[in-house]
Amino acid sequence: MSGPDTQGSMPAEDLEDLYENAPCGYLSLQPDGRIVKVNRTLQTWIGIPAEQLLGKRLHDLLNTSGRIFYETHFAPLLRMQGFFNEVALDLVTADGRKLPVLANAMERRSEDGALLFTRVTMFQAAERRRYERELVEARAAADAAGATIKSQLDFEQQTAELREQFIAILGHDLRNPLASIAAAGRMLRKEEQTDRSTKVLDLMQGSVVRMSGLIDNVLDFARARLGGGIVLDRRAEVLEPILRQVIEELRYSHLDRAIEVSIELDGPINCDSSRIGQLVSNLLGNALTHGTPDEPVRLSAATVDGRLELWIANGGAPISSDAMTRLFQPFFKGEAGTSQRGLGLGLYIASEIARAHGGTIMVSSDDQETCFTFVMPLD
Amino acid sequence: MTVIDRNHVQVRGDGQRAMIFSHGFGCDQNMWRFVAPAFEGDFKTVLFDHVGAGRSDLTAYDAEKYSSLSGYADDLVEICRELGLTQAVFVGHSVSAMIGVIASLKAPELFESLILVGPSPRYINDGDYIGGFSAAEIDELLTSLDDNHLGWSAAMAPAIMGNPDRPELSEELTNSFCRTDPEIAKAFARVTFTSDNRGDLPEVTARTLILQCRDDIIASEEVGEFVHRQVPNSQLVVLNASGHCPNLSAPDEVISAIRRFV
Repeated sequence: MSGPDTQGSMPAEDLEDLYENAPCGYLSLQPDGRIVKVNRTLQTWIGIPAEQLLGKRLHDLLNTSGRIFYETHFAPLLRMQGFFNEVALDLVTADGRKLPVLANAMERRSEDGALLFTRVTMFQAAERRRYERELVEARAAADAAGATIKSQLDFEQQTAELREQFIAILGHDLRNPLASIAAAGRMLRKEEQTDRSTKVLDLMQGSVVRMSGLIDNVLDFARARLGGGIVLDRRAEVLEPILRQVIEELRYSHLDRAIEVSIELDGPINCDSSRIGQLVSNLLGNALTHGTPDEPVRLSAATVDGRLELWIANGGAPISSDAMTRLFQPFFKGEAGTSQRGLGLGLYIASEIARAHGGTIMVSSDDQETCFTFVMPLD
Repeated sequence: MTVIDRNHVQVRGDGQRAMIFSHGFGCDQNMWRFVAPAFEGDFKTVLFDHVGAGRSDLTAYDAEKYSSLSGYADDLVEICRELGLTQAVFVGHSVSAMIGVIASLKAPELFESLILVGPSPRYINDGDYIGGFSAAEIDELLTSLDDNHLGWSAAMAPAIMGNPDRPELSEELTNSFCRTDPEIAKAFARVTFTSDNRGDLPEVTARTLILQCRDDIIASEEVGEFVHRQVPNSQLVVLNASGHCPNLSAPDEVISAIRRFV
């Protein structure tokens, strides 16, 4: 390492000076752990001169926790494998400050294996320690934020579940009194009625139909959310009578409205007819509620090219593009002000029924008309 | 999971009597690798890792159970019972010395004698009693473990590599020695350095050997003498070795002291 070439071009490195003034701290320990040699760099760092350091032990330079860990962890490791690397220690300086360092140590043994020295190098590590602490703090902050989000999410989920259970129970409990009202209405109809009381009974029946539809939607929603979705009872059925029945029921409760109907169905259709009736009832009810009163609502049902196509259209203000994206979400209610507001479940349930049949509901809306189209395959 | 797996129990040796070695705070059963083999000719030697250390099953760690040394002593008793040991020689280093003392009070029939290497029944000074650390210093230790989680965890599991000069260091050793889950290490430090088992010492009935090092900053000679005074049937041997781990730094001295005693 001191060949003629290097000597010629630059001054030879002074090993004594390299040791004393190296950019890292050096110290050497006797086999009993006492310091026998320490370089000037380390003396300067901790502000203690060599004469006070010689004869001390490494752990005399450490703070309490460093001392305990040195004895319980690093000394055994050093003894076991002959070295340790990158051990974080805090030196205590002459004026009582902590000086964070990273230490490497290596044992020097004689031929017969006897320990001669343990050599230790130290590098200042204040910045690294600060960085580590920041990482710890950042992780703690992230963990805390995660925990908050999770508890909020749990709360939201619990609330949603409770709400859905509440809805299921409510829907179920509403059915019985409604059935009683319907039965009472039928009983009264068998007796002699004045024109006026017949009108009142008509209104009552219309309300019963509407409310019964709302309850069905509520129960289906709860079942779809809590259970495994809408269950179908499919068989080949002639659909027209049930469509007519649904239309008549709604016509009955909207006597002032015109409904134009066209039905052209070829033969029976493999479906759950009462569900399709519910779908039509929801779409038609919607059109009657939101459509402008001075234009008729039009309904068309037809079998075309192996599909059932059913559309319901109404006039009036178009659906805003914002509302368009959320129409089929549960509890979505349009912005149009009307007293006949439901729960916002009708379109959601209709779309679930369509989906269960392998079909879809599409919507188009402009200044002329708003049209919901249900299409399902006739497999 | 069996007790044997939980504590990574290793049984060797041919003897009738059992000698069970218990490691202290910091490392694992490899602390005994220069000592235990010397007894394999005359004893059945049993080594194990406390739950949380070495190759123990970390999933068995139960913060409540191991919040006192009694939980660790229960494990020791279970290991002895599982192996059918009676009248065994217990060798415990550092905090395990007290774990052995507690276990011997729970199940005296299991332990014929106790060998306590660097024992301390309490590390914190208390009136006339000099444990070696002030309450503030132990607080500093525990706080620094809390504060500097990353720093300590890196420090506690320093990069351990193969060392061509030490072929006896198998890979399994270098991968487990001194490696501790940081959270468990914090809890173990707390239970180790805040326990007070001075009251248990006069209850010990097993014959007891105390091995004391010179210049042990963890368990000073004063503490060793205190243990000797408090344990009724005890001998104190002061080794020439210095530091807290004579089982590594002066295994021959430890072996001959144990031999003379048993």
